[in-house]
This record gives sequence, structure tokens and C-alpha cells, in this order.
Amino acid sequence: MKRSELLTRILITVAVLGAVGTPLFLWARTPLIHAKVAEDGGWSPDVIRANAGEPLTLHLTSDDVVHGFAVGQMDMQGVDVLPGKVADITLTFDKPGIYTFYCTRWCGLNHWRMRGTIEVSGSNVDTQPVPAPLYVSLGLDIDAPHDAPILPSQKPSAIRGQKFSTNLPILQSPDFYRSHSPYQLFDELTSTSFTESQRWDVVAYVWQSNATPESLANGQRLYAQNCAACHGENGAGNGVFADDLAASGESSMQTMTGSEDMMMQTPVDFTDPARMLGASPALLQGKILRGGMGTGMPMWGSIFTEEQIWDLVAYLYSFQFNYQGAVR
Amino acid sequence: MNSRFFLLLLAAAGLVVAFAPFPVQSIAPQERTFRIEARQFAYSPSEFKVNPGDTVTIQLVSADVVHGLYVDGYNISVEADPGQTASLTFIADKPGSFRFRCNVTCGAMHPFMIGRLTVGTNSWLFRSIGLAVLGLIGFFPFSFHKERMLVEKR
Repeated sequence: MKRSELLTRILITVAVLGAVGTPLFLWARTPLIHAKVAEDGGWSPDVIRANAGEPLTLHLTSDDVVHGFAVGQMDMQGVDVLPGKVADITLTFDKPGIYTFYCTRWCGLNHWRMRGTIEVSGSNVDTQPVPAPLYVSLGLDIDAPHDAPILPSQKPSAIRGQKFSTNLPILQSPDFYRSHSPYQLFDELTSTSFTESQRWDVVAYVWQSNATPESLANGQRLYAQNCAACHGENGAGNGVFADDLAASGESSMQTMTGSEDMMMQTPVDFTDPARMLGASPALLQGKILRGGMGTGMPMWGSIFTEEQIWDLVAYLYSFQFNYQGAVR
Repeated sequence: MNSRFFLLLLAAAGLVVAFAPFPVQSIAPQERTFRIEARQFAYSPSEFKVNPGDTVTIQLVSADVVHGLYVDGYNISVEADPGQTASLTFIADKPGSFRFRCNVTCGAMHPFMIGRLTVGTNSWLFRSIGLAVLGLIGFFPFSFHKERMLVEKR
């Protein structure tokens, strides 16, 4: 074989390998993350590794229906993941730790099961312990029944309540609001000269003064995106998935009410005064944080920020009270 | 009968059937609201009728995944997530029958997720039936005519 021929053969081999290998190498470096409905496996891969401080670029696509991608606790806008298209997102994590990413567009009954983790490694490990949520430090049993024994005869109004609340400054502190149920405040007001309906109006006013219009609006947005499919757009527990949940039976609706006592549960009706007026914001925060333990209620603690949960809680009470210039 | 005259008559009748304004009974436009539930892979209800000039509001409720609704001819669309009812309001100013379809990929049978919006009378249905009948009327005498000519030639 001539030298020039050998050189040519080598050159062609290298060129071919390069033409095939380079795209393959680039493709392998940034793998495509496939999204499928939870029944078909959810995210694959569902564990992503990254380094703190370094930008992480992800390419996402869907294999069936419209999905979305967002990382929990980051207050970020979700990226739509559409079938047949590739969505790119670049994230930078400041702190090492395990982050949860989740689907942001409803993709069926088991939409909320579609989650994965991003394991971010780094040297500046935060050793500060996370403070316990309020329901833990208050020692609340969030599974215990908490119905209010006395109910208002009409929907309490914050507008009416404002007139009676001029000399009750202590009740309006956030700490008081978060740790007391509306019924507890109603009960504490027994010593005053107000009538029952006036006391409920004061309660409505105190609850409104702890909710800014921005937090109510934010709560409403979060509710529509994440809760309304089961709990209903008007809070009545009759969302589009309520029937499907009941039909799917034990797998998603069973809950433990005691050691062995199981009962079927439907999505909670937020327009039910007994249930809502007997629940403190701390209790509702706990329920949202932890989820329903075996019911279809997801665990939101790894998704929502604390601020977002308080906004949601504030919005949930608006199903019970008439607020001034209310969002609804 | 003169065959050329007959042909001319037939063509004139055809033009009348195709383009003559349809006798429209004037109905006062009203507001109509339809609640359409979308599931993989059907709308319920999947057919609805309105009168020309009506203000139509479609409330699209999705019951499993993200669905859309795109009305052909009107080129308008709406997209609904489960739990977030979306509404679309338009004035039905174009008469006829229009297909509406899901415009958000919602699974394997997504292309077959369709429905129909009928605005007023579906005049093109009747016009095309009329034209087909005219065609038949024209076809038979001419075929006999030709046969007769062939017999006469022999």
C-alpha cells in the first residue's frame, strides 16, 4: 500500500468517526429527559445530578401529553414540556441539597405523582437545621377531627366586623392568627358584649387583616393551578377528578383514621363551615405540607415555599368569609 | 326538445341552486353558553348548533389532561387545564358547518378528537344535494339522446 493511500484511508476514517462521534458525544453529554404520565413511568431519568454554583442545562420532551417542568421551593415559572418538541431550561443551584422537580400541567389523576429529584452536590453544605413547621411546634394532631361546634347563621363579613374591631389590636398579630382557628377566636370573644353574629364578623375581619390582597391573589392562582382539579374551582370538593378518585377506590382514597380504622375520603369541601372554621392556619399548613398520608392529597412541602403555603391558606378561608374588595 | 336549450336551462338552474340566497328566517341574535367537557379523546357534547349572529361562549372543561379547542373557519382557539375552566367568546357571523378540534396534543388518538359547530342552516349540504340532483337529471336525458342518435345512424 502506498503511503498516500494509507494517509487517505486514515483521514477518511477519522473524518467519518468525527462526523458520527461528535454529535453522539454532545447528545450523550446533555441527555434528553422524557416526560410520560405517571402510570407509564413519569420522568425518565427521574434523578438528575448537578454541582452547586454551576449552570445545569436540561432538555425536556414529552412522550404523550402536555406536561410541565418546575423545581419546587424555587418560586419559578414552569416550563411547558410538549410532545414532539424539546424545551430547554438552564438552572443554577446556589446551595447543595436534594431538590424536587415536578410536573406543572395536569396530566391525569396521578399527575402529582410525577416527580423527580435533582441532587446538587457542593462543598458549602448548609448545616443549619430547618425550623420545624408551626403545626409541629404547636403539637397539633393534623389528622384529628376538628369540626367547629357552633356555626354562623350567615356568612361572616369582614366589612361589618371592622366596626367592632377597633379595640382588639392583640388579636390581629400574625402569631395569633396562625395558631388559632376561627372558632377559637369566636370562643375567646364570649367575654365581650357582642352578639354571636357580630363575633363571627370580628373573626372575619381579623382573618382578612392577616391576608393582603396580593397574598389572596397569589393563593387563588396557586389554588387554580394545583388544587382546583380535585377540590373544585369553587372549593366545594367537586373538581373534575373527584369522581375519578372515588372510582379508582382504595389506591388513592383510603386514609387511616386510627390504628386500623380505614375510611374512604373524598376531596375536602372548603365551603363546609364546620370543617374550615374549626381549622387553624397552622393546621391547614400542616395538611398542605405533609399531604393526605395514603389519600390522593399530595405532599406539597417539597414544592411550595412557606410563603406560598400561607398565601394558599389565606385564600382557603375566603370560601368562608366575605372580604372587603374580595378576589371573588 | 332542443338539447342545447336544455343544457342552458340546466346550467342556469345549477347557478341558482349554488348561489341563490337561502331563505333566511330572521332570528334575533342571542347569547348562548355551552359547557363542553373534554376527555381523552372526545368532547361532550361534540355537536352544537347556533343561529347566525349569536354571541357564543364556550366553556371548556378538561377532565384528564390539557386539552384545547380550535374552531376551523373562525380560526379561534382556547386551551384548558383540568381545574381551570377556560372560556372563549365569539360572534357566530359565518354561517355553515365547522369542525372544531383539539389543538393541544393530548395522546395517541389526539387527531381524532373532533366535534362540529353548526351556524344556521347548513346551506352547502342542501345546495350540494340540489346540484347532485340536477346532475342526475342532466345525465339521463343525454344518455338516452346519445343512444337514439346511435340508433338513427345505423
